Amino acid sequence: MLGYLGRCLAHLMVTVAGIVTVAFFLMRAIPGDPAQYMLGDYATQESLAALRAQLGLDRSLVEQYLLFVARAVQGDLGTSVATGQAALTEIIDSLPASLALAFSGLFVAVALGVPSGIAAAVRQGTWLDVAIMLVALGGISFPVFWLGLAAILLFSHKLGIFPALGSSSDAGWLTSLHHLALPALVLGFSVAAYIARLTRSAMLEVLNQDYVRVARAMGIPDRRVVYRLALRNALVPILAVIGVTFAWSLGNAILIEAVFSRPGVGSTMLKAILARDYQLVQAGVLALATGVVLTNTLLDILYGVIDPRLRAA
Amino acid sequence: MMQPKPATVLSIRGLTTTFPGPRGDIVIVDDVSLDVARGETLAVVGESGSGKTMTFHSALGLVPSPGRVVAGEVLLDGADLLRLPPHELRQRRGADIAIVFQDPLTALNPVFTIGDQIGEVLRAHTRLSRSSARKRAIETLERVHIPDPHRRVDDFPHQFSGGMRQRALIAMAIALEPKVLIADEPTTALDVTVQAQVLELLADLKRDTGMGLVLITHDLGVVARYADRLAVMYAGRVMEQGTADRVFETPRHPYTLSLFRSIPHLDTPAGTDLTPIEGLPPNPALLPTGCAFEPRCFHGGGREDCRSGRPALTPTDVPEHAARCWHWTELASERRPS
Repeated sequence: MLGYLGRCLAHLMVTVAGIVTVAFFLMRAIPGDPAQYMLGDYATQESLAALRAQLGLDRSLVEQYLLFVARAVQGDLGTSVATGQAALTEIIDSLPASLALAFSGLFVAVALGVPSGIAAAVRQGTWLDVAIMLVALGGISFPVFWLGLAAILLFSHKLGIFPALGSSSDAGWLTSLHHLALPALVLGFSVAAYIARLTRSAMLEVLNQDYVRVARAMGIPDRRVVYRLALRNALVPILAVIGVTFAWSLGNAILIEAVFSRPGVGSTMLKAILARDYQLVQAGVLALATGVVLTNTLLDILYGVIDPRLRAA
Repeated sequence: MMQPKPATVLSIRGLTTTFPGPRGDIVIVDDVSLDVARGETLAVVGESGSGKTMTFHSALGLVPSPGRVVAGEVLLDGADLLRLPPHELRQRRGADIAIVFQDPLTALNPVFTIGDQIGEVLRAHTRLSRSSARKRAIETLERVHIPDPHRRVDDFPHQFSGGMRQRALIAMAIALEPKVLIADEPTTALDVTVQAQVLELLADLKRDTGMGLVLITHDLGVVARYADRLAVMYAGRVMEQGTADRVFETPRHPYTLSLFRSIPHLDTPAGTDLTPIEGLPPNPALLPTGCAFEPRCFHGGGREDCRSGRPALTPTDVPEHAARCWHWTELASERRPS
């Protein structure tokens, strides 16, 4: 078990380093000069050169990268050129709002997707199965920003039950929960669609296994067969898709934050990209990548807990 | 129709199971009647697809959709399993009648320990606590001769060898001391040396508990050694049945005779040619109108009555014996080549 954990951890570090490296070079491949963005169109050549020197942009790309790595290892991700604050602080400040959205979205997705996928598998071919799969197809087909706009139109504009915009984190937890509900539902619904479809197919496969037939032949009650004996076997693929969709919903959170005008890592990153604020983008990518990889590591550990055969491997 | 004998514990009467096909229902189990007495071993033999397994799955209400049992009754101690409400059928399955599946590799749940799986069966039928279920699981593993059961009870199936998995499956099936145990080709997936151990175990358990044992097999050697009575199935029908000794000595159905001729015996003189059964097992969707075996029959094949009329399972000159052949009297006068 300890060796398994060690391997997971090593995997985590390699992956994060890789993602950050790619982000570093991708950002610099995008045309645009940060100094120009900061000083505006009428800046003199001298002031531009001075600012570039100050930001280290006059050095070679390799030099810049090595410098970035050397500092990053010490926990220094540079200063946001736009705000003058440490990039890491900037990201950490916007993290809680994003995490709240991502986790409540995940909660909605799992609470909606797993049971409906199981129900569809158990009632394969019935109207219930067809209905669940149709709704899921909708969830997959409509882009999340469109779903967000449609939800605002329906629930905020027509019905008036949820606020359309903002997060009002200062107004007490009940109000922030009220603001969180609609974006979380939209994010969760689109993810739930994937989870439901995969849960259905994973359960269908397991329900056809001999050991499920044996359990039924031994008179074990149906509920117990489905929710304990079969479900634990289907759990590894279900957790895998939850992991993938969680990563993907961190990306979607950028769109959701834009549609609902919520603060968060997404909107901070969006502004940073537009301003060619390299340091801030790098810090944001690092935060998102760590989040994704941490989730996957956690899942890898969970797989081992669920399926004893994976522990030995 | 024969009346069930007093000691009969399981009596299957006229069981018929169909699956929908493109041109009407396909009959997979065709009017099958079988009896199992306490302490008796009934062997059911036949080629793959002859309906052996499906007969007993039908009896236990385990026919996969869209198949369904359309006729018959399955009397277990007098109660008809086919007409019990679902929750009562569930209570009977595993407790009064249990089945050991064919392939021990796929019949155990890979993500639960052996002890958990036996405990799950115990707790489905009794009010045992978790810890006493575990204790009973260890005792049951001991009864099927799993070495070091206190330790192995917490193993997962992938840590067991093939023979031990089959034992674990048998342990699950006998945990509640059922009246009837159905062993579906219990040794097909095992090494030859392990096969004998598993069969001896089943025979011992039967002797100790007095349960009725159904041995589904295509191994005639197993039948000769372990079976009290024998039913030969072909195309979903029972072609011949009787006491095992008598069926071996004096078969009254050409199919049974062909089966015997197609395998070597210890007393077969060296150099004697084995006779394979010509043709292919029948397609259940395209059965002949008459006798199902007629196209492959060396004996009556081609005769008008064999082609047009379906023979019934009729008593023969041999006591406690019946065969489904128009011309069994001719076989009776013929000497069995040996």
